[in-house]
Amino acid sequence: MKKYIYFLTCVFSLTFASCDESVLDINNENTISTGNFWKTEADIESGVVSVYNMFYRQGTWTRNIYTQMHGMADDGVSLAGWTELNEYSKFIYTNYNFGEVNTKIWKEHYVAIFRANQVLDNVDKVTFTSESRKADLVGQTKFLRSFYYFYLTALWDNLPFVLKTSSASDMPAQKTPDEIFTQLEEDLKDAVAKLPATRTAADQGRATKGAAYALLAKVYMQHHKWEEAIKCFEWLVDGEGKNYYDLMPDYGDNFRNTTENNKESLFEIQFSLINNVGFDQTDNYRDPNAQMGSQIEMNQAPAGIGWNNVEARRWLVDYYKREKTVEGKNDIRLFYSVWYNDSAKDFPERADSLIYGNKWRAEWGNRVFIKKYSTPANPLFYWNDNNFRSLRYSDMLLLYAEALNEVSGPTAKAIGYLNRVRQRAKLPALESSSYYNGAQIASNKNTFRDHLKIERGLELSLECVRWIDLKRWGLNDQASIDQLKVRDSDFNNFIVGKSHSMPIPQSEVDNNPNLKQNPNY
Amino acid sequence: MKNGLFFLEKTRWRNLVLMLCVFGCSLTVLAQRKVSGTVTDMQGEPIVGASVHEKGTANAAATDLEGKFTLNVASGAVLGVSYIGYVMQEVTVGNQTSLVIRLEQDNKTLDEVVVIGYGTVKKKDLTGAVSVIKSETLRDRNSQDIIGAMQGLTSGVKVTSSGLPGQQASIVIRGLGSLTNNSPLFVVDGMIGGEAHLNPADVESIQILKDASSAAIYGSRAANGVVIITTKNGKEGPMKVQLDANFTTTRLPQYDLMDAETWKRYDDMAYDEAIKRGVAGVVRRQNHYDANTDWQKEMLSTGILQNYNLSFSGGSKSGKYFVSLNRLEDKGALYNTGYDRYGFRVNTSGQKGIFSYGENISYTKTNRKNLNGNPWADFIAISPTIPVKDPANPGGYGYGNPDRANNYGRNLVAMQDLLSQKNPENILKANIFGQVSLFNALFAKLNFAYTNYSGVTNTLRKSGNWTMGQGSDAASIGVQNYRSDDVLIEQTLNYKKTISKHDIDLIGGVTYNTFNGESGWATKLNPLVVGDKYITSLDAATGNTTAGGGYQKAAILSYLGRINYAYADKYLLQVTTRRDGTSRLPSDTRWGTFTSFSLGWRISGEEFFDVPFINDLKLRANQGTLGNSSIGYWDYQAVINTAPRAVFGSPEHKVIGMTQSQLTNTDLVWERKTTTNIGLDAAMLNNRLTFTAEYFRSKSKDLLVYLPILMSSGNEGGNPAVNAGSLSNTGIEIETGWKDRVGKDFSYSASLNLSRIRNKVLDLGYGRVEYYEFLSKAQIGQPLGAFYLYKTLGVFQSEEEVKAHVNSKGKVIQPNALPGDLKYDDYNGDGIISSEDRQLVGSPWPKFEMGVSLGAAYKGFDLSMNGYGRFGQDVWNGAAAAAGDFANNQNNFNGIVPWTAANPVNDRPRVVFGDTRNSRGDQSRWLEKGSFFRFSQVALGYTLPAGISQKAGMERIRAGVTLQNLITITKYSGLDPEFRDSGIFTMGADNTSFPNPRSVMFSLSLAF
Repeated sequence: MKKYIYFLTCVFSLTFASCDESVLDINNENTISTGNFWKTEADIESGVVSVYNMFYRQGTWTRNIYTQMHGMADDGVSLAGWTELNEYSKFIYTNYNFGEVNTKIWKEHYVAIFRANQVLDNVDKVTFTSESRKADLVGQTKFLRSFYYFYLTALWDNLPFVLKTSSASDMPAQKTPDEIFTQLEEDLKDAVAKLPATRTAADQGRATKGAAYALLAKVYMQHHKWEEAIKCFEWLVDGEGKNYYDLMPDYGDNFRNTTENNKESLFEIQFSLINNVGFDQTDNYRDPNAQMGSQIEMNQAPAGIGWNNVEARRWLVDYYKREKTVEGKNDIRLFYSVWYNDSAKDFPERADSLIYGNKWRAEWGNRVFIKKYSTPANPLFYWNDNNFRSLRYSDMLLLYAEALNEVSGPTAKAIGYLNRVRQRAKLPALESSSYYNGAQIASNKNTFRDHLKIERGLELSLECVRWIDLKRWGLNDQASIDQLKVRDSDFNNFIVGKSHSMPIPQSEVDNNPNLKQNPNY
Repeated sequence: MKNGLFFLEKTRWRNLVLMLCVFGCSLTVLAQRKVSGTVTDMQGEPIVGASVHEKGTANAAATDLEGKFTLNVASGAVLGVSYIGYVMQEVTVGNQTSLVIRLEQDNKTLDEVVVIGYGTVKKKDLTGAVSVIKSETLRDRNSQDIIGAMQGLTSGVKVTSSGLPGQQASIVIRGLGSLTNNSPLFVVDGMIGGEAHLNPADVESIQILKDASSAAIYGSRAANGVVIITTKNGKEGPMKVQLDANFTTTRLPQYDLMDAETWKRYDDMAYDEAIKRGVAGVVRRQNHYDANTDWQKEMLSTGILQNYNLSFSGGSKSGKYFVSLNRLEDKGALYNTGYDRYGFRVNTSGQKGIFSYGENISYTKTNRKNLNGNPWADFIAISPTIPVKDPANPGGYGYGNPDRANNYGRNLVAMQDLLSQKNPENILKANIFGQVSLFNALFAKLNFAYTNYSGVTNTLRKSGNWTMGQGSDAASIGVQNYRSDDVLIEQTLNYKKTISKHDIDLIGGVTYNTFNGESGWATKLNPLVVGDKYITSLDAATGNTTAGGGYQKAAILSYLGRINYAYADKYLLQVTTRRDGTSRLPSDTRWGTFTSFSLGWRISGEEFFDVPFINDLKLRANQGTLGNSSIGYWDYQAVINTAPRAVFGSPEHKVIGMTQSQLTNTDLVWERKTTTNIGLDAAMLNNRLTFTAEYFRSKSKDLLVYLPILMSSGNEGGNPAVNAGSLSNTGIEIETGWKDRVGKDFSYSASLNLSRIRNKVLDLGYGRVEYYEFLSKAQIGQPLGAFYLYKTLGVFQSEEEVKAHVNSKGKVIQPNALPGDLKYDDYNGDGIISSEDRQLVGSPWPKFEMGVSLGAAYKGFDLSMNGYGRFGQDVWNGAAAAAGDFANNQNNFNGIVPWTAANPVNDRPRVVFGDTRNSRGDQSRWLEKGSFFRFSQVALGYTLPAGISQKAGMERIRAGVTLQNLITITKYSGLDPEFRDSGIFTMGADNTSFPNPRSVMFSLSLAF
């Protein structure tokens, strides 16, 4: 018996004493911890790549932003079977937490911004092999962060403005568009200074000095800082940029997957089918095989072929057709931009061309479908690899003309830039147009501005530019809205003082005391 | 720990020897003589079917219809006579050849022993709130999982079945204490967890430790209460064989949805209205498909479940055994689903001298064919005009078409056929313990438990579509493996001594629990197809492969101690403490000490107490603090996501990105919950009437919760865990029961339990004073999850009414509304309907909950009924909201009467396609009263008279039928007022939840 007592005493005392509490130190080695990251140049480089990665999301550039940007502008509309989606494109907002559009776009842009902030907050802790390498990475990150913010302001105007790495308890303060633009201008000026003007073949797709100038110019334009914008255009159009950028002779080259990263392109979203996993993994943030293709085509293809989430307004067809080319033909931009019942008749030399692999169906009546970025695949694959040209040289030329006009009226220089765009489309110079009264248009600032609104609408239709243009030209008086109603009946639902911004996702407003819902929502 | 393991090796060795002894027990044959006798109750009425056995042998008999038995026994043998509900008696056979044995009815439930974790306590000495459920109660309940079987049996325990085949019910004890995990801790035979695959037929008893003092010994994981489950073991006596066979037919409730003809009428009406009102893009009615599909009929049929249990049990004083086999086959009531289970269990225990040992091993193999999505959402979403099959579509199934049925509903049949997920699982659970007892007072115990889980999910995605606009996904096959090990080592030292009137019970121990999990998956495109058969091996697929995987690891180390002291069974004291360290919290905060105290006073034990009709009266009070750290493995460690990729260059190439995706809070601490409990127990009228009342107050602080954070943070991959806020719960529970026997043949019992729980938010974390989710708002000082919605005020009947709906300044509030549109309350009076107009309009919390059980037995018949109800809560009817008003061509319910000019109703707006403004989810129109009472179980059984069964060589034959959920009394118009909520902040939202099945079970039970 004594033996047992001894044994038990021994065991218990030993057990209690020998329980080494370090058995509880269990580290997560499934991946690297944040504490061991942001130490090397390579870490920063991969941090920057993760910001580009955010382009491939449903709420960013894979699909949803197109529906919303076209839908709100007067060149597009959603007649989707998904009623909530289609109401969102018509200024009818019922559920402010509508996941597919409102919260997804919002959230995924902020994920991108969080990623960019991590790079910027850690870059100074790292030693680089060369200062220019560091400058390039900082420049790219600042460009990207500004890029994401630029589109956020286009949709919501008054944003929680986050420029530091987030923590879970943050309740960021709301800033006005004016405050946001001011900061973006600073960041983009820095990006301009830091970024190289050209990229090697392997680095094509990364932001360049030209891209930063172009985005900076767009911010200045929205901010009505015409003279500052002109400085950017001078570099892009008249200065060094001349060596890198020009209009492509064929307007269609801007929308084909075989003519990507061409000289008309200042910045493109690089889509690819390299991660072709065959099923929808677009938004899986943890999947290295997540799709990097675009769903632009699926999103806009007619019902029965694609989702038909967004389509074009009929006025585009009429406007394109009213002015003929110098050869007396229809504007080729019409052919490349949209698809409609008379395409075959209007472009007899291309009458046999199929769109989305299909012929026009009578049941579509006088509806107009978006053709830009389409490919001949049939049936449509979920994704395609056609890059989205986000900043285009012809946009710059027209903005240059607009800025010059705002400063000193329709000067010859301004008209000259407009004519470059017209003449690429084989239209006569403005002054020789048989449809427009060139002299009258060039007579004063207001008529020229009004004319640019049409020219921009036709050159840049359905490229996520129009809504930004409309905001720049003003949506705060009923007269402007009434003009838009003629082209797009959705503007019947537009309420001045309210509908120029989307409703901020309600859950964000509810749970952030520093954030107010946009006016009248 | 090395030394502990070393000791284990030795113990195991000894146990092996012991085990051999047990199984090696042989019977010795001695001189035999015949003895006969009669077994009666105290009134002299014969007892039929009582068991008479010769102690120490397998020699036994049962009494016949007259209570008589005959047995050949050795001279000087001791007979053990027992019958359920009576006190077992031992009779030494002297020279008599005829015996009359009178059995006393067993009313001494108070002498029952209650398992309280690392020990037992006599029920009369309990100072905490503990409910006990016995195997007899569970026997006739029709549930394949142990939690479901507990439904409605005790107060303060809310069990909600899921309705999905093979999926377990959920359980909450005494309301919400936590914001993350409200499931109690399950302890099965000393092992943590393991309730998921437990066969209810193997369960001997369930003890529910509801308050802090009883649960305190489990410390940090016990904040939501503890459920201790003990599986069966053999009883002394000859081998008993028990065979139970159940056959259950199940039906799932169905919506009363429109058929194609009715639906087309309303849908045309919605299109006509849209055309009339100029909804953009709507120019003509749909060119309807010609089918008339009842999607519910396609998906739902009668489920057939067969369940067989066979067990062998018995033993002697020195060794006992229980062996069981289980086979379950559930042909699901849902198309192309099913669940299969095989299991066995071997429980043995033995004792020799100062040594004793026990082991429990169970192995379960299951196979599940999963259901894709939630059919109750899709039944509403899809139009009844769409055909099930449509050769024009890829894959050959029907779905929406922009011209014929502009509808994104999913074809559920196609989904089940085209995307199959099979999920086989293997679960091995084993524990073995050895104990040495010295001087009958000191007990040293070592318990070692091991759980091994492995599961595979095999996915086959055939090519083909099930919804409009799906694109052409490639066919693929996927394999996902998950396996885990859970090891528990516990050593306890227990001292028990009674010194005159002092009862002392001390326990101390150390436990160490580790968990290791590992997962891996691979998916490959383009599996080979031969004819129309897919080859499901990864090797045979020809497309791209993707793969991934990871591991999880955790450990918890604890020291525990408890003092139980009773003086003369009158004054009771219990002090418990546990110190826990967990790897899930940062090293500087990972240790927590949790202590509780409780006191009891058995008033009936006092000499001055002299109330003849009260047999027992006890007052008890306790207070204790418990913890909760049931969060993820590494929630305090921030990590880098290596998945992002981007493409650059010409030719294009992939570049690797890395970043932090998920935010973390690195300063996490233990969540603590302090509970005060006061209880009163009484037994009256010869113990026929029992009564228990409890009052409790609890306060949780530093609640660990994955509280949603702002999207503007850029966080992705789940909300970080945070110690956010504080919550209080106050409740009253009353349990009362009556049990009696009338004459010799009729006995009956009835019990009623009532509970009422109120919760209040005391703090919300991150410095917030309010927290909102879609449908709900939580604010300090108020209960969680109050409905926060736009309030509707009926339907505009005319243009005049639209113009007359103005604020105080005369501003027309809804200038664009048309007659037939909903009138919303401009709550803040600013003249527009905006998010500021949401208001508190209802509460998801029942005013009280009730459970009733009734039992009666007459001769061989037994009848039991269980019912429970919840009263006074509001429910958001998600199905009604999803059906809406034809805005998306979804289906709707028969009998709806929308507003029309000709029939201007005031409760339902006009139907209109392409306009969701009247059917928004966050409006008060979808709120309903959710009170219900449900007869969850009605069981009727008949036991053949012992004489007859004996002729068949059986000891007992019982046949029974159990009806489940057949009668529910409620005004709620949704499918089922008892649903799984969609999260703690939206407790009352019935988001097209799975309804509970209705079933009829036939059972046959044989014992010999």
